[in-house]
Amino acid sequence: MTLTRSLVSVVDDDESVRESLPDLLREMGFAVQAFSSAEDFLASDFLGLTKCLVLDIGMPGMTGPELQEELKLRRQQIPIVFITASRDDSVRPALIARGAVDCLFKPFSDTALLSALNAALRVA
Amino acid sequence: MQEWLVVTKVTKVHNDLSRVVDALPGLVWTALPDGDVDFLSQSWRDYTGHSPDDIHRRGWQAAIHPEDLPRLLERWPSDLAGGERGEMEARIRRFDGQYRWFLFRASPMADRSGQVVKWCGMNTDIEDRRRAEEADIDDRKRVEEAIRESEARKTAILDSALDCIVTIDHLACITEFNPAAERTFGYRRDEVVGKLLADVIIPPSLREQHRHGFARYLATGEARVLGKRLELTAIRADGREFPVELTITRIPLDGPPSFTGYLRDITARKRSEEELRRSEAFLAEAQRLSLTGSFSWSVGTGDITWSDQLYRIYEFDRGVHLTHKLIATRVHPDDAPPAMERMDSAVNDGMGWDDEYRLQMPDQSVKHIHFVAHALRDKEGRLEYIGAVQDVTERWLYEEALAKARLELAHVARITTLGTLTASIAHEVNQPLSGIITNASTCLRMLAAKPPNVEGALETARRTIRDGNRASEVITRLRALFARKDATAEPVDLNDATREVIALSTRELKRGRVILKEELADDLPPVTGDRVQLQQVILNLLRNGAEAMSAVNDRPRQLVIRTEREEGGGERLTVRDAGVGFEPQGADKLFQPFYTTKSDGMGIGLSVSRSIIENHNGRLWAELNDGPGATFSFSIPRRPEVGMSPRTRGRDGTPVADVSAQARGNS
Repeated sequence: MTLTRSLVSVVDDDESVRESLPDLLREMGFAVQAFSSAEDFLASDFLGLTKCLVLDIGMPGMTGPELQEELKLRRQQIPIVFITASRDDSVRPALIARGAVDCLFKPFSDTALLSALNAALRVA
Repeated sequence: MQEWLVVTKVTKVHNDLSRVVDALPGLVWTALPDGDVDFLSQSWRDYTGHSPDDIHRRGWQAAIHPEDLPRLLERWPSDLAGGERGEMEARIRRFDGQYRWFLFRASPMADRSGQVVKWCGMNTDIEDRRRAEEADIDDRKRVEEAIRESEARKTAILDSALDCIVTIDHLACITEFNPAAERTFGYRRDEVVGKLLADVIIPPSLREQHRHGFARYLATGEARVLGKRLELTAIRADGREFPVELTITRIPLDGPPSFTGYLRDITARKRSEEELRRSEAFLAEAQRLSLTGSFSWSVGTGDITWSDQLYRIYEFDRGVHLTHKLIATRVHPDDAPPAMERMDSAVNDGMGWDDEYRLQMPDQSVKHIHFVAHALRDKEGRLEYIGAVQDVTERWLYEEALAKARLELAHVARITTLGTLTASIAHEVNQPLSGIITNASTCLRMLAAKPPNVEGALETARRTIRDGNRASEVITRLRALFARKDATAEPVDLNDATREVIALSTRELKRGRVILKEELADDLPPVTGDRVQLQQVILNLLRNGAEAMSAVNDRPRQLVIRTEREEGGGERLTVRDAGVGFEPQGADKLFQPFYTTKSDGMGIGLSVSRSIIENHNGRLWAELNDGPGATFSFSIPRRPEVGMSPRTRGRDGTPVADVSAQARGNS
C-alpha cells in the first residue's frame, strides 16, 4: 500500500455499482469517490485530484462519452475506463479511438478491472 | 279466091292472136273508154269459171273480192279518164271460190287522132309475192320490236344500275355514261359522251398507263385487264381521287372493238377494311403485350378458334388442328385432373368458369395461366364459349418472389426484434449480475486479507444475495412484459369468422394447390369469445393443414373445414387434411411450445392455439385419419363458465400475437 493512494472516481447512475465497486476498489488499494451523474462529478472538488475515471456509458443526463468530450474541452487529461451493461461490440473501439483506456462490459471480473486501472495509471 | 284467102288469113290471124292472148301469163281483158269490159280472155273465163255472158259489161265485178271492189271502182274511172297507164292490186275469186291477189295493169289504146278507143289490161297473179312481202314485213316488225325492247331493257339497266357503267369505243371515247356514273363522277352524260375516257375519269398519273395498255390491246390483242376484277384510283369532276373496283369487258360485236367498264366507288369499303385491319392489329398488339390470347369453342360442333397469341402461349404452330386432346397435352400433369374436372363441371351446368393452372411445354418449362371462359348460346341455342387466357407466369414468379421476400423480411424482423429484446434483457440482467460479481469479488478479497475483514465480507455477501433477488425481479418483469393483452368476450358467429379466414387464405391455399371444401353448419348460434383470437386459431389450423400437404402429389390436396353443434351446447370446428399426418405417439407433443420439426418454424403456433382455446374453456386436439392425413379439432362451449371468462390470462403466458410461426409434429 502506498502512502498516497491514487484517487479513482466512479460515475454511474446505478446504485448497486456505486455501492459495490468502491468497496472492491478500496480492497485493491485505491482511494475512491463515487458520483451518481456526470454533472455531479464535474461540479465536485475531486475533478483535479482524480487519477482515473471509471465511467458508465449510458446515464440519464450527460452520458459517459459526453463527459469524455467535456473533459477534453476542459483540458482535463483524466484516463477513462468505461463500463457498460449493454454489450455493443462496436462501441468499444470507438471509445478507445477517442482516448479511452478501456471499455469493460458488465459483469466484469476483478482482474479485468485491475489491469485496466493499472494501464490507466501508467498512462497518467 | 282472094276474099276467101283474106278471110282465111284474117281468121287465121285472129285464131293465132287468141292463142297468144291465152298463152300470156295473166288474165287479159279489154274495155271501152267508158270502162265497160268488152273482152275477157279465155284464161280469165277459165280462171274464174264464169261464162262469157256473165262477165261482159259489168258482170266481171262478181269475180272481184267484195272488200277490194269499191276501191277498184273508185280509182278505175279516174285512172282511165287520165289516159295514163294504171296499176292496182285486188283479189280475184278463182273458180273454186279461193281469192288470190292480182296486179291489175291497164294501158290505153289510141287512134290516129290520139283519142283513147280502148283499154287493154292484164291481171297478173301476185299472191305468192304478196305473201312473201307480208312475211317480210312481219319479220321486220318483229326485229324492230326486239330492238326496241332490247334498247329499253338496256336503258333500264343502265339507268337503274348501282354500279357506274361506262362504255367506250375503239378510240377510247365515251359512248355511254349511266346515271350512277353521273352521280359518282359528277359529270352529266352529255358532257362526257364523245370525250376520251382518260381525260374524264382517269387520274393524270394513270393516264399514260391507260393509253399504253389500250394501244397495246388494239395492236396485239393482249389484254391484261379484261374480265378481271381490278382496284384502281379514279378521279371526280372536282379533282378528288377515290378508289374504285372495276371490271372491263369487250362488247362482243363485230367491227372495231368497244368496251364496257363496270365501276364501283369502294371508298367506304376501303375505309372499313382499313379500320377492321387497324382494330385487328390493335387487338393483336394488345394480346401480344398483355400475353393474353383469346378463343372460342363451340361445344356442339367441337370447333375451336384461337388467336395468334394463344398459339404462342401454348407453343403450337398456327396450322395445327386444335382438339381438346391436343390442348390437354400442354396442361401440367399435376394440374390437369382438377382443371379438367372444373371444366367438365362448368360445361355440364352451361356456366362460364375462371381458373388458374400451369402449362408444361415440351421443353419442360412451366407457364402459369389465368383462364376465363364465358358461356354463350348461339342462334340454335347450342352452348358456346368465348374467353381469354393470360400468361401470368411473370406475375406469378413476381408474387412468389415477393412472398419469399416478405417471409424473409418477417424472419429478419423477428430476429431484429429478438435482438433488441435480448439486448434490453441483457442490460436489465447485467446490472444486478455486475453487482453480484463485484460484491463476490470484494467479499473474497476481504476474506483473503490478513486479517480477514469479516464484517466487510458479510456486508458484501448480503449485497450479493440482494442483487440476486434483483435479477430475479428483472426476469419477473420481463415475463410481465411478454404477457398478452386481455382477451375480449363478445358474441362470435363461428361460420362468419371462418369465412373471413378462408377469404384471407384463398390466395395462399390456391398457391399451395389446396382444394378447400367448406362444410359449415346451418344456423349456428354465436359463441362468446375473442373473435380475433379464434380466427388466429382457425388460420393456424388451415395453414398447418395446407403445409402438411405441401409434399403431397399423388392425391388431391383436399382440406375440409367443418363447423357443427356439439351436444351440451358447444360448437366444434374441425380441419381435416390429407397430408403426411404425425407420429401416433407424438400427438401430445404437438402442442408443446417450441416443438417443431420444421426448420423455419418456432414451434409455438399450436401451443398458442391450444392456450387460446383453453382460455375459451374449450379443447384443441389432433387425431390421425383412417386414410392419409390428420384432423385438428377444437370445441368450445357456447357460453363460458361463470368466473372463467376469456379475460383470464393464458396459462403459460405465451404471447398469442405471433401465430405466423408454425408448429407441426409431422415427421
